[in-house]
Amino acid sequence: MQPQKTRSRIRIYYDILLSVMEEGNAKPTRVLYKANLSYDRLVKYLDELISKGLLQEMHASDSRYYVITQQGVKFLEEVRKAEAFLSGFGLSL
Amino acid sequence: MVDQLFLINSLLQLASGIVALSVSFTAFRYMKLVENDILRFLSFGFMLLGIGLIFGASLMLLLSFNIGRIAEDLELVYVATVSYLILQALAYFSFAVGYARGAYGNVKEEMTSTLFIAPTMALPRLPRSYLLLGTHINAALQLLILILLAFVIFQGALIYSRSKHMFSLLVLSGFSLIFVAHLIMLASSLFPSAQLFTAGAVVQFGGFLSLLVFLLNSGRVHAASKNP
Repeated sequence: MQPQKTRSRIRIYYDILLSVMEEGNAKPTRVLYKANLSYDRLVKYLDELISKGLLQEMHASDSRYYVITQQGVKFLEEVRKAEAFLSGFGLSL
Repeated sequence: MVDQLFLINSLLQLASGIVALSVSFTAFRYMKLVENDILRFLSFGFMLLGIGLIFGASLMLLLSFNIGRIAEDLELVYVATVSYLILQALAYFSFAVGYARGAYGNVKEEMTSTLFIAPTMALPRLPRSYLLLGTHINAALQLLILILLAFVIFQGALIYSRSKHMFSLLVLSGFSLIFVAHLIMLASSLFPSAQLFTAGAVVQFGGFLSLLVFLLNSGRVHAASKNP
């Protein structure tokens, strides 16, 4: 049995972006749940993704939500392809 | 006849070299994206393999057409052939280290030279001393390559047995065919035969074709698709 590996930064980026893309307009609690992260780590990674231009924070009345940018979608595709390539050699993100 | 076989060999090696360089470039691109160190070994290995194959193919093309009377410059041919084999040996060593790191964590890196030689038996004008030395080095390098490839295939088989994924099967098939090709090439250096060497080149090309199919298919996955 293989030991549980910790997720890499890229893997966490991927999980967050994928959850936001699947949700459309994703609220932080949904991302938190789907990406399986603590609140502090979620905030840290969301900030990183926003600063890289992969996510956009939106505000509506008293709530905030996140949407994925075109660049984010492209990044997701590249990571997905990289993951497929890695799987051929028994590697993972 | 021998010239035609040379030409076929060189074209097959050229195509194989281009595939190897494509895999190297892709591994390098993804290495930067996902920050995976093992991809560095794969990228480096495929780069050496690609350079070695293209270098070998160019040498054979020069010999096929006897451009610049290269066949008469025995020392140059000998050095070029051995360099070509050593490049390939280093490439397979790099794969072995990459797979070992993936499977067992850090592995001490020792530089061992390996690999395979272009067919010196196809140069009838070479003096006997060059032929003997060339053949021995060829066989020794082929053996070393076979050992390294056997390790790579063993790891590849373990990976496939766990994942049952098409991509790992394609990579495993690729390396397995290359292994068979080197067996045939070893036989061709022990029992000199241009036909046998060509058969090896064809099988080797089949291996690279399998890697090409893997490369193309892995580049077609969709962003929202589930994990492999």
